[in-house]
Amino acid sequence: MIRALARRLAWALLVVWAVASVAFVLNNVIPGDPAQLIAGPQARAADVQRVRADLGLDRPLAVQYARYMTRLVHAGAWTFDSKADKAHATCAAFVPGLHVDLGRSYTLRQPVVKVLGDRIPRTLVLAVAAVALQLAFGVTAGVLAARRKNSFVDYFAVGGSLLGISAPTFLIGLFLQFVFAYKLHVLPKDGYGETFAEHAAGIVLPALTLGIFGAAYYTRLVRDEMIGLLGQDHVRTARAKGLGEGAVVMKHGLRNALVPLVTVVGLDLGALVGGAIVTESIFRWPGLGSLSVNALQNRDGPVILGTVIVTSTAIVASNLLVDALYAALDPRVRR
Amino acid sequence: MRSIRKRCEALVSIAAAGAAFAILLNGIGCQSSLPAPIPSQATPEDAPRRGGTLRIASLGEPRGFDPATAADGLSATIVNLLFDGLVDYDDHNRIIPVLAERWEVTDAGRTYRFFLREGVRFHDGEELTADDVKRSVERALHPTTPSSWASQFAAIDGFERYTEKNEPHLDGVVVEGRYVVSFRLAHPDAAFLAFLALYPTRPVCRSGGDRVSPSWHPCGAGPFRLPPDGWRRGQSVDVVRHDAYFRPGMPYLDGVRLLLLVNPTTQRFKFLEGELDFFRDLSASDATRFRNDPRWKALGDDEVDRTVTGEAMNVEMPPFDNVEVRRAVAAAIDREHYRLLKPPAISVADQPIPPAVPGHDSAIRGQRYDYAAALDHMRRAGYPYDLATGTGGYPHVIEYLAYDAGFPVFSAQILQQELAKIGLRIEIKLLSFPAFIALTHKRKRVPFSLGSWDQDYPDASDFLDTLFSSETIAQEQSPNTSFYRNEELDSLLKRAREEQDEPARLRMYKTASQIVCDEAPWAFTHYYHYYSMKQAYLRGYRPHPVRVMYMASTWLDRAGVRTAQRAAPLFRDALGSIFGSGR
Repeated sequence: MIRALARRLAWALLVVWAVASVAFVLNNVIPGDPAQLIAGPQARAADVQRVRADLGLDRPLAVQYARYMTRLVHAGAWTFDSKADKAHATCAAFVPGLHVDLGRSYTLRQPVVKVLGDRIPRTLVLAVAAVALQLAFGVTAGVLAARRKNSFVDYFAVGGSLLGISAPTFLIGLFLQFVFAYKLHVLPKDGYGETFAEHAAGIVLPALTLGIFGAAYYTRLVRDEMIGLLGQDHVRTARAKGLGEGAVVMKHGLRNALVPLVTVVGLDLGALVGGAIVTESIFRWPGLGSLSVNALQNRDGPVILGTVIVTSTAIVASNLLVDALYAALDPRVRR
Repeated sequence: MRSIRKRCEALVSIAAAGAAFAILLNGIGCQSSLPAPIPSQATPEDAPRRGGTLRIASLGEPRGFDPATAADGLSATIVNLLFDGLVDYDDHNRIIPVLAERWEVTDAGRTYRFFLREGVRFHDGEELTADDVKRSVERALHPTTPSSWASQFAAIDGFERYTEKNEPHLDGVVVEGRYVVSFRLAHPDAAFLAFLALYPTRPVCRSGGDRVSPSWHPCGAGPFRLPPDGWRRGQSVDVVRHDAYFRPGMPYLDGVRLLLLVNPTTQRFKFLEGELDFFRDLSASDATRFRNDPRWKALGDDEVDRTVTGEAMNVEMPPFDNVEVRRAVAAAIDREHYRLLKPPAISVADQPIPPAVPGHDSAIRGQRYDYAAALDHMRRAGYPYDLATGTGGYPHVIEYLAYDAGFPVFSAQILQQELAKIGLRIEIKLLSFPAFIALTHKRKRVPFSLGSWDQDYPDASDFLDTLFSSETIAQEQSPNTSFYRNEELDSLLKRAREEQDEPARLRMYKTASQIVCDEAPWAFTHYYHYYSMKQAYLRGYRPHPVRVMYMASTWLDRAGVRTAQRAAPLFRDALGSIFGSGR
């Protein structure tokens, strides 16, 4: 068991390293000069050269790569003063004896670990809230639609999910903002806020936007899966044995329908941790999505690589979690 | 029968959903008309009032507020509030003294001597002296400073020794007394005051040190200061009044709050509800709606044309190494078609210098649409084209680069259609902005591309020297994207930079503009400006010819707030009452 776990973790690390390396190469081979963008398109060549030297981009690409990878995780003191200790000015210590250094953002001029440290919790909260809403709406609507197939409830759920899938996220977001913030004034238009109450109020619309979009998929998934399951022999047998309809649906229908759902939820959660770019932009939620968009526009290599590493780690971790949940849900997997 | 019933049920469901949606839209008041502006309290003649925080917003995120390294427009907006310079531009493009009480130019334009105001205080309470001016200039131009502007100050005596040989001080900046500092130039530079009026060399507090550091907290002598937690990255920037500002009673505002990363739709919602006092990122449709509403029209401002845009032709690559082909392109474009893409913000261009910049001259023979002349130029170039039969013209397809954003995509399509009429076929390639900049600034890489130049300072040299002088040609990062080289023009521009007599200097730029129009390294298409809206209660605001969203002399005169805005969001209030207001 421990060996299997270690093997999975080793593969996970390899995947993250490979993704980061590909991102590093891609970011450097596609046209676009970060120094030129930071100096401004109107800067003269001599001034662009100053900026390039300051960013360390005047070194050969292989040297830049080697430096990045050797600095990424390296030995270092648990406590240190990043302002006084120039060698570790852009580091963070997550475990004793090990530093993580993702470099300094070209545009924000802050250590990337600090930038990500500020953004990740906000994106995580939004991702969890969104997935919770997706599950709450999607599973409920899917079960009801399956239970009352070809009824008004089914048509409403299927029609609603069709609308949710078809409508682009930005349209859902702007519509919710227009209705609940601009017209009804029950929620703030955008922003993260400064107090807990403001954070909580601020997350409702972005989470709802993502929730509606994702719930549409889950509704269709759960409904179709449940309809198939509820017509199977073992369900008929359960009913024949006198089991109540609620128990039939929950134990023999929903539980089995959750297996494919867990896969989708796991992937969704991993992707959402990478940042819900459109939603975060509409609602000015300062998470990883808006950060990565700005970083791409400015060719801010250290931030791009940092977000790639975080996102790939999240996706790998959520896949590991999904595998563990499979085992919990389906005894055959454990065998 | 059951099937028919089910279908009916489905139809009823759809109808019910549609009706519910319509009722919802009606109930929340989906309408296209704008609400009335929020009134101001006083009559226009009333004296300015102190107090209040002005709220503005932007689509972007600033990069930093150190004047020595700031390079993006949004950072400049805040830098201009935090840092004053020795001189600045007034509302009419004239250079006026600010931290300097006066200045004199001697030695045939080689020495600029500034007499500082006494008693000017930095944000940290220290007094501004000539030493601070010298230290700040040396800090900004030091070779380790990632400055986007340093080379513009190359005329200062000793600049090369300071930047290349690492000498400890810049000889050309001389402290002549506690309040007297002079700049000695290696050669006269008529644009020197214009550079000094920009922000890079503005005095910074002693805490700024001799060298730039990313951890420095911005501190200057401007009308506002940045509190320790004033910049919440990705969210907002708050600056507050500098109480010891040297102008008595100024600024009127308690502070300015800049909301970051706000999309244009949300900005409109916030502006209409009085949550923003100023609105600049208007879409074309919003600009039209505000302009056409008589209640709002008077609150709109057209900023000056700061940008010249055109089609840049690489004179080192065929077919644009042939001047007749370039002239044909310049004559084939009907600029009116470009203007119609965004009428509120665009005016037709016929020369390199925008109308508000000294050096623009309506008397020159500018580029204009003349289809017959375009065909004639193609014939002289050796590529005659017959429109009736569609035969002739340049035999190869020309690659044209633009970046993938709304306007450039549409203008590229117009260009493609216009040039097809004279026998030039172009293949449009749309790139991301970073890739577009990288490729178009590289020598012998792109034959034809969109060209655009935003004014850094309102002087003809900013446009002509940078875009068309051979001195700015580089293998990579070349601002001269047409790679145009003309000895006569170079000589003229050099003499104009040194000419101290302003009328004579403007005559030289008129000749230079004429050369550029005739030789057509660019086909100039349009000038661009922003259209902005302000609330009726925002007083004292006039668009500045150089600075963007400059609010240092504005004040708020607000009669009341909308009901909607006064009622804070119910949900937030409910949560606040449950959890309190702790962070």
